[in-house]
Amino acid sequence: MADGKKKLELELTRRDVLKVAGAAVGSAAFAYTVTSGPLSPFSELRRRQLEGQETPDEEARLVHWGMAIDLEKCIGCNYCTWACSAVNDVFPDKTWNIVVPERTPSGAGFFFSRPCLHCQEAPCVEVCPVQATWVREDGPVMMDYDRCIGCRYCEVACPYDARKFNWEEHTAENEFAPTWGIAEVERRPRGVVEKCTFCVQRIDRGLELGLTPGVDREATPACVNICPVGARTFGNLNDPASPVSQVIEDNPSLRLREDLGTEPSAYYIPPKEGL
Amino acid sequence: MTGPETALPRRPLAGSPHRLAWMGFLVICLSFGLATAYQVFTRGLVVTNLTDTVPWGLWITIDLSGIALGAGAFTLSAVVYVFRLSRFRSMVRLALLIGIIGYTSAMLTLLVDIGRPERFWHPWVYWNVHSVLWEIAWAISLYLSVMLVEFAPVLAELSLFDRWPAARRLAHAIHKATPALALVGMLISLIHQSSLGATYGILKARPIWFKPSMPILFILSAIAAGPAMTMTAAIVLQWVTRRRTVPLDVLRAIARFSGLGLMAYAYVKLWDLAVVAYYGRTPEAESAFYFLNQLTPYGFGFWFGEVILGIVLPVLLFLAPGLNRSRSNLALGGVLAALGVAINRWNVTVSGLVVPLSYSPGTQYQPPAGAYWPSLAEWGIAVGVLGYALLVFTLGARLLPLFPSNPRPQDR
Repeated sequence: MADGKKKLELELTRRDVLKVAGAAVGSAAFAYTVTSGPLSPFSELRRRQLEGQETPDEEARLVHWGMAIDLEKCIGCNYCTWACSAVNDVFPDKTWNIVVPERTPSGAGFFFSRPCLHCQEAPCVEVCPVQATWVREDGPVMMDYDRCIGCRYCEVACPYDARKFNWEEHTAENEFAPTWGIAEVERRPRGVVEKCTFCVQRIDRGLELGLTPGVDREATPACVNICPVGARTFGNLNDPASPVSQVIEDNPSLRLREDLGTEPSAYYIPPKEGL
Repeated sequence: MTGPETALPRRPLAGSPHRLAWMGFLVICLSFGLATAYQVFTRGLVVTNLTDTVPWGLWITIDLSGIALGAGAFTLSAVVYVFRLSRFRSMVRLALLIGIIGYTSAMLTLLVDIGRPERFWHPWVYWNVHSVLWEIAWAISLYLSVMLVEFAPVLAELSLFDRWPAARRLAHAIHKATPALALVGMLISLIHQSSLGATYGILKARPIWFKPSMPILFILSAIAAGPAMTMTAAIVLQWVTRRRTVPLDVLRAIARFSGLGLMAYAYVKLWDLAVVAYYGRTPEAESAFYFLNQLTPYGFGFWFGEVILGIVLPVLLFLAPGLNRSRSNLALGGVLAALGVAINRWNVTVSGLVVPLSYSPGTQYQPPAGAYWPSLAEWGIAVGVLGYALLVFTLGARLLPLFPSNPRPQDR
């Protein structure tokens, strides 16, 4: 073989190994201290942004925002996509919400729509190298557009195709506004990944005003409000009296790709023909 | 095979038309790359053919290939300084140079590839310890630093440092730490070379990626092809400079090591194929392969590019006793092995993304299947990075004492 004659000599003493291990641990501690720890100019920023970023404990939390989408009721009018695009200033080349014609195994047609499902064990959150995305205490999967580096790993990891990248700067006026709504959030810059937020701006503002998301329109996501047939319901999944809990209670329901263990916050009521 | 002309110790090609042509070629590559980089930085990634369906493409292939082909640095450093096989010492400096070129090329490409290049430092500050990509970002930065420190004594031998003996003394002190650096470098490399495969292997929604063999395939192919790449560079340098660089028996030993490594890689790869595509095939994997074979030359790329070009031919050239005695055969084998790794990284990246996700509860809708071929801008960056790599290699070969000066006995 490569070197049969010479015998393998390992001249590492225990002291050497300890030195190397010590140096490695010391370097890691040093790196942590200066980049993210107490000595870092970013530590305060990081601490603030980390608050509420731990994956929530389902038993302990009182609020978990969720959505139910009734595939039997949906008529495929696309209003949800348009209202979402107007309110969140999204462009038609990368809408956050989709509505597509579908078929059951028995051949009956129905319409399938999909916002971000706000997984509680979200693959996109696990893979982000800079923690620019996280699961908020009350359920929604959030994005920090100031931290995202645009590597697009989350987009690759998402099983539901729910994330879109800003390949270029959008300077044109939004074609959905003001017909379908007025922009409530800042337009995302070029080079970051963006996604549906369950309209957290509406949820948070509504809660400040003492309103109930899912019941009061001002505190409810735009896609839910606009739906002319009431196919979408929103509310607190942990409150059995909320509209969304009622719908899930009264109907058979399913979640997309339950086998992946992503624990989505969006439930689907299948069409009457069954899936 | 090599004749006695190697004995002539002359400074080759000084000011010759060959060198001018070579420098002109490098300048053209670099200008093309810089012009394209300007386009990307001003207009954004819209100048690529990447889409939300296929968001990774040629550039990621370059990153993965550059890092894999730089694996000769940690392998040969470990062989010499940890396992004390000192006859490979003549290869270590060249291996480090190739490693540094591979890793910096990957980093340059990444800088262009991310949407917000000015935030390249975020992984160092904002830690997500659950992310393999975060771990990779740290590991490649750390390992590049390790390589640069290991390489510092070579740089210190530049005549530039004649005036600063302190720098030389420092470099000498660093040199004493080389075994520790080699050990640390080996550990970091073993981890992050595998993690590059895990980047794909952990994604449970992607039927042809989600498998535990991904990291193993990546590390085995890197350990096999990395040293072969270094060996090829040594042979090419010998041809160009017409000076003996490394004895043939050392080159052959590396080739045999690479040949055996490629066989180990092939062994895991074929079992992996059997599991994923044959007896363990899931409906999802089945439809994914059907899709790939309908839409792309996936099967051809796999069998011809990865297996025949990248494994079978190099293994023959490296291991067959009648073939591995000539430097040109070894160099050809090294080039083919490197090409095989690059084709594999392309196939893994693009094929996994082209297969549409399946999440609809109905039977009809699938998100659009991806289609991807790099745009001119993407090729421009590729050419620019190639120019950068060749420029550093040329400068390193001309200015640095890559091969220890005490001549070894002739190998033939």
